[in-house]
Amino acid sequence: MSAVVAGLGGDLGGALEAIVGPLNVRRPPSALARRFAVDGASPGGEIAYLVQPGSPSEVAEILTLAGRVGAAIVPVGSGTRATAPSPHAAALAGRPRLFVDSRRMCHVLHLDETSLVVHVQAGLTALALERIVAPRGLSLGDFPPQVLGSTIGGLLSVRTPGKSSPRHGFIEEAVLGVSAVLADGRTVHTRVAPRRASGPDLARALCGSEGTLGFLTAAVLRLHRRPEARFLAAHALPSFDDALAAVRLALREEAAPAALRVYDAAEAHAHLGADVFPTGNDEQAVIVVATAGPTDLAACDRDLVASAAAAMGGTELDERLAELWWKRRTGQERGTALPAPALQVTASPKRQSAVYRAVRVACAGLGVGLRAHASRFEADGAVLFFTLVGPSGAALVGDELVRARGMAEAAASAAGAVLLGTENEELELYTRELRERLDPAGILNPGL
Amino acid sequence: MSEVFASAGVARQLDNCTYCPKMCRFSCPVSETSGREQYTPQAKMDRLNQMRRGHLPWNEKTTDPLYACTGCRQCTTNCVHGNEPGLVLLAGRAAANARGAGHPALAGYPERFRSREQRLLELLRDHVAPERFDDSAQVGFWPGCDAIDKGLDDVDAALRLFDQAGATEVKVVASGQACAGYPLLAAGLIDMFRWQATRVAAALKPYRTVVINCSACVYTLRAQYPAEGVALSSEILSLAEFLARLEKRRTDAPDEACALRSVYYHDPCYLARYAGVTEEPRRVLSRLFEVRELAGSRSETECCGGAGLLPKTMPEVADGMARARLRQVAARGGGTVVTSCATCAFMLKRNAPSGVVVQDLATMLAGEIPRSGPG
Amino acid sequence: MARTAVDADRLRRALVPIVGERRLSQRESDLASYGRDMWPRALIGIRSGQLPPDRPHVVVWPESEREVAAIVRVAREMAVPIVPYGGGSGVCGGAVPILGGITVDLKRMNELSSVDRDEMTCDVEAGMNGERFERELNRRGYTLGHFPSSIYCSTVGGWLACRAAGQMSTKYGKIEDRVAGLTVVTGRGDVIHTDGPVRAQRGPNWTQLVVGSEGTLGIITSARLRLSPTPELRVLRGFEVESVAHGVEAIRRVMQRGLRPAVVRLYDEIDTFISHAPLFGSKRTAGRGDEGPVTTDGLRLAPVPGPAQGALPHIPPREQGVPSDHGGGPGAIARLIGTLGGGDTARRLGARLKRDAIAAAMSRPRLLNSLAAPLAERVSRRGCRMIIGLEGSRIRTGVEARLVFDELERAGAVDQGEEPGREWFEHRYAVSYKMSPAFRAGLFVDTMEVAATWERLMDLYHAVKQAIAQHAVVMAHFSHAYSEGCSIYFTFTARAEPVAAAQRAYDSIWRDALAAASRAGGTISHHHGIGLLKGPAMAAEHREAMTLLRGLKASLDPDGILNPGKLGLPASLGAGRAADGDEAAAR
Repeated sequence: MSAVVAGLGGDLGGALEAIVGPLNVRRPPSALARRFAVDGASPGGEIAYLVQPGSPSEVAEILTLAGRVGAAIVPVGSGTRATAPSPHAAALAGRPRLFVDSRRMCHVLHLDETSLVVHVQAGLTALALERIVAPRGLSLGDFPPQVLGSTIGGLLSVRTPGKSSPRHGFIEEAVLGVSAVLADGRTVHTRVAPRRASGPDLARALCGSEGTLGFLTAAVLRLHRRPEARFLAAHALPSFDDALAAVRLALREEAAPAALRVYDAAEAHAHLGADVFPTGNDEQAVIVVATAGPTDLAACDRDLVASAAAAMGGTELDERLAELWWKRRTGQERGTALPAPALQVTASPKRQSAVYRAVRVACAGLGVGLRAHASRFEADGAVLFFTLVGPSGAALVGDELVRARGMAEAAASAAGAVLLGTENEELELYTRELRERLDPAGILNPGL
Repeated sequence: MSEVFASAGVARQLDNCTYCPKMCRFSCPVSETSGREQYTPQAKMDRLNQMRRGHLPWNEKTTDPLYACTGCRQCTTNCVHGNEPGLVLLAGRAAANARGAGHPALAGYPERFRSREQRLLELLRDHVAPERFDDSAQVGFWPGCDAIDKGLDDVDAALRLFDQAGATEVKVVASGQACAGYPLLAAGLIDMFRWQATRVAAALKPYRTVVINCSACVYTLRAQYPAEGVALSSEILSLAEFLARLEKRRTDAPDEACALRSVYYHDPCYLARYAGVTEEPRRVLSRLFEVRELAGSRSETECCGGAGLLPKTMPEVADGMARARLRQVAARGGGTVVTSCATCAFMLKRNAPSGVVVQDLATMLAGEIPRSGPG
Repeated sequence: MARTAVDADRLRRALVPIVGERRLSQRESDLASYGRDMWPRALIGIRSGQLPPDRPHVVVWPESEREVAAIVRVAREMAVPIVPYGGGSGVCGGAVPILGGITVDLKRMNELSSVDRDEMTCDVEAGMNGERFERELNRRGYTLGHFPSSIYCSTVGGWLACRAAGQMSTKYGKIEDRVAGLTVVTGRGDVIHTDGPVRAQRGPNWTQLVVGSEGTLGIITSARLRLSPTPELRVLRGFEVESVAHGVEAIRRVMQRGLRPAVVRLYDEIDTFISHAPLFGSKRTAGRGDEGPVTTDGLRLAPVPGPAQGALPHIPPREQGVPSDHGGGPGAIARLIGTLGGGDTARRLGARLKRDAIAAAMSRPRLLNSLAAPLAERVSRRGCRMIIGLEGSRIRTGVEARLVFDELERAGAVDQGEEPGREWFEHRYAVSYKMSPAFRAGLFVDTMEVAATWERLMDLYHAVKQAIAQHAVVMAHFSHAYSEGCSIYFTFTARAEPVAAAQRAYDSIWRDALAAASRAGGTISHHHGIGLLKGPAMAAEHREAMTLLRGLKASLDPDGILNPGKLGLPASLGAGRAADGDEAAAR
């Protein structure tokens, strides 16, 4: 191993080995190298290492070293993120890259069962954390299991929508404090308190910064007791609009479900079976809901959703549909594998119907079929997932997909949806200046 | 005996305000409209307190905040200590005057007051038929200075209402004064006020009841005259109270058939918060109209900016207050706002946005009765 | 602190084209009223005739964010500090213009521009008064759910700048939990919007980086806030628990079961005793002068003065020195308890205290603290009082209330019925009126709000209490509960004379108490903010993480013109450019 390393980078490899030990420095897997290859250049021509530090102080040393030699630090977590070539690879041209994998920092440092707070290292995946705290009757909260495969550091670094539940809010709000190593090797720990008024929430500077302001090494997170009761229910609504209206109505009545999803007719058929609706009608929609908490309150929430659905002309469906959804959601049952949605957008409550309609109209114009569901409801809105399908009913692929997605995106955006990865251009200057200040050598995730 | 008027009581009020985090801020229309920190009740009282303690000199510059008050008394309504900044600041103005540190806009006010009195009396005599004046009548109607100045039509309307109700005992007060003297208090001219009060008291003596369409005058006659040792034998009623009394005499049922128009009623501060007159005007209005409430009504009413000589010292702020008062009516698509004080009516009319009509109570009611009248 | 050298006339000439002559002032009387906020340390001086020395060079009243941006650009060009000013109700000196400069009063930006029924949000300008805002929302069927005891005198912008908390925060959250987006004028003179469904946007959550920045990073000109429907049901209940520790445990159990009462207040023994006897009698109006008839809606009419009094109140002449009944004197503690507590029990207690003992105690607060605790216990016997309230939609609130009350009873709390809750609700803002009687009585009063996770909470309570008790009489209540912890609100009082000694004592209290809070693992502020008062403790609060704050400062306000000297940032211009780690430059 060390021979390979020496061949690649000489002193740098040696220096890294001195920090983390020879077993924790290696050549980056080719997939990773390809993602960050500069156009035209063949991967492998660059000096690159995958480093796996085991402690924050090792991270600090790596960052200091990177600063000294002008290397670029690219944090990698569990690799759950996209495998498409990084659009920012150009910024790495001509610089040694250090892919820093935090997964050896995977320990629970302190579990405070009085406050229901856990201090955990950033390399542990949320799922692993759930497994550790579950025997004690604790959980991170009602977050969608799909997102829990990421490391804690990865979860917090990227502020994509969907890491939320109506009952427990956005995952970032569960952060009571973070620890990070700054570009100059200094370690910061933000003050842990339920709430503060001692200046801005500095932890929020690091959450969502995608590793550009500091390297997350640990976080202090709020836990919840596992719910005493859970209820599942499904309702058929006359239309997607009515279903969204019913959700708004229920949330307005302060229902706080653990999870909530609205399917349009096509999506309901694909996910829940062809015989979902007692009577056929392409405009119908389905609400599936899970409520949790103290038994009476969970029952109350279930009833609030039911009466809101009834008020919008809904009828209660067989509970087994909801169970099917729940089992798939929690991975207890696989079901038929469905293609990942082609398009995800967020929309505030007022815009959701309009966005759905706009995308439908756009797809109809292209002769493309559409399935959709809305999920991850929270205070500011929800996420709409669209799957684009061809005449055969199979999801679109290739150029067809690219073209249709482009049209659908434009339509959604015009109707007021916010696309994933949108940047607030007004803030670009301020983000850049902040980075300049904290990382003058530009070693942390350059190009982002 | 009233504790707030004792010296120590006033010192306590001033100190309470100095150390208070401006809890009544939201209730002061002058500071809300102007946005100026030194016009919050707390800052005004603190200013007076620092001058009292000798930490600040008395001069035109330092006394300016004492004049940023209409005495609307909304701050008192929201003060747990029960402080009366409206009254204490008037006392502050008197103290400022005595030190030659009065407001520059009020320079020469005694002469202006006297010549205005003269002018208004002539105006009234020219306007009202001579047989309407009679000091042997039981009830005297004394319109109030702003009514004569800016609302003679409203005076006529009131007289028509009296006629229509068959209240022949009401005659217009024939006195040598047009005003009970509230502006003199507001200008800090306490000696001149005493002199005015003595003369007004003599002129009102013949009447068992005196009816006035000026809310500040009602309060001045009821409370400030006795405080100065000027005894009044007459009963003092606001026009709204008197009309409510006449209403009781009526035997005919309201005309159910006529479609009710809706009007808003604006409570004059001096009626609502000083004299507690809130139901009477609504009662008389509700016979003919559906009475709608403004946000901030009865004891929560918001000042029109007309009192405390604010239109003289800070005309822009005063007009801004009137506009702020009517903004909600405009926002709801306009309508008619009725009030029962000549000063309020004048201020609100002057600042009414399009779509909002302001009417004096008497005119509004008289507009609904046949013009011919009994005679 | 050295005032910035500013050519006041030049400044005026530069600003007049932006706001006009009428919305700008350099009159001494205006400047003086912007020299302080409600920081009690300044009040100690004012009591003794030391008027605050700080003055802005000019006050402006902008009416739009464009005007604010133009003002900031002028300040930048001329290297003049700029201090945003809302209600001036802060208690940490956050609005004091220590270097002079431009004070930007935002109160003319006071429109509630829109309420969106579907989104359950509203757009409101920063200068709007809190009470007016809430009333306007109520009229439309909504509430913000934010009820600080300063609601009558504070502004929306002030809440956001200081991360304020309201009395119902346990349900609705603090102001940072109610904000969806901000419009901010940065120190570069640009307008930025940290707005919209930010979840989809990349990068840090800038809203949360500006909220709490106390005007040092930008001037908040308007905000999009989340609303709730006005509650259909409100349930308030009093409970008694054996001790503070029992009460804390009961609250923790409720919160960790996932229940969210709106109001959670647990008074320690002394606070229970003093709060038991209502401040101003049992009715809100009862403490006022007895003069004047009462109308049907409870309004006390204007006093009718008697013949001997004169139409206008007589302003008493200048005091010669401090009048005897204002000083400490033997009656001070009786008056202290009287003013803070009032009522019969308090008077009985006052009477039972031997005068000499009291006089001695006042100069030795440690003794008094040890004296007061057992006395309070004896008087109230039943331990500590809790006020628990829920509000919201009829059905869910009803169910949740039952669960909360059952859980409390299981934890050993004894239900005292609705009366204590109703009483608290009626007097809920009374605390802000308590300052005046205390200062009049020759005392100073201040409050300190800290917070920690449950595990550290009792340590924090004892540590801070002990630190303050060295210098002052102290009591506390626990409010603003979370699933993971709670805030503690200390009230302390000591003699305000002689002024130099009082200010020394005041400074010692804060130095010791803040250090104790940091050592015990709590935060130094839960909702009052930092201002000048807690600036020196910021280093201990954030340690290396101050680097992040300084980074934000350099990014948003590179010339360091925005509210210098606050949040523990340097009290000099150009701070944004200063090298990292030069905390020494801070006050």
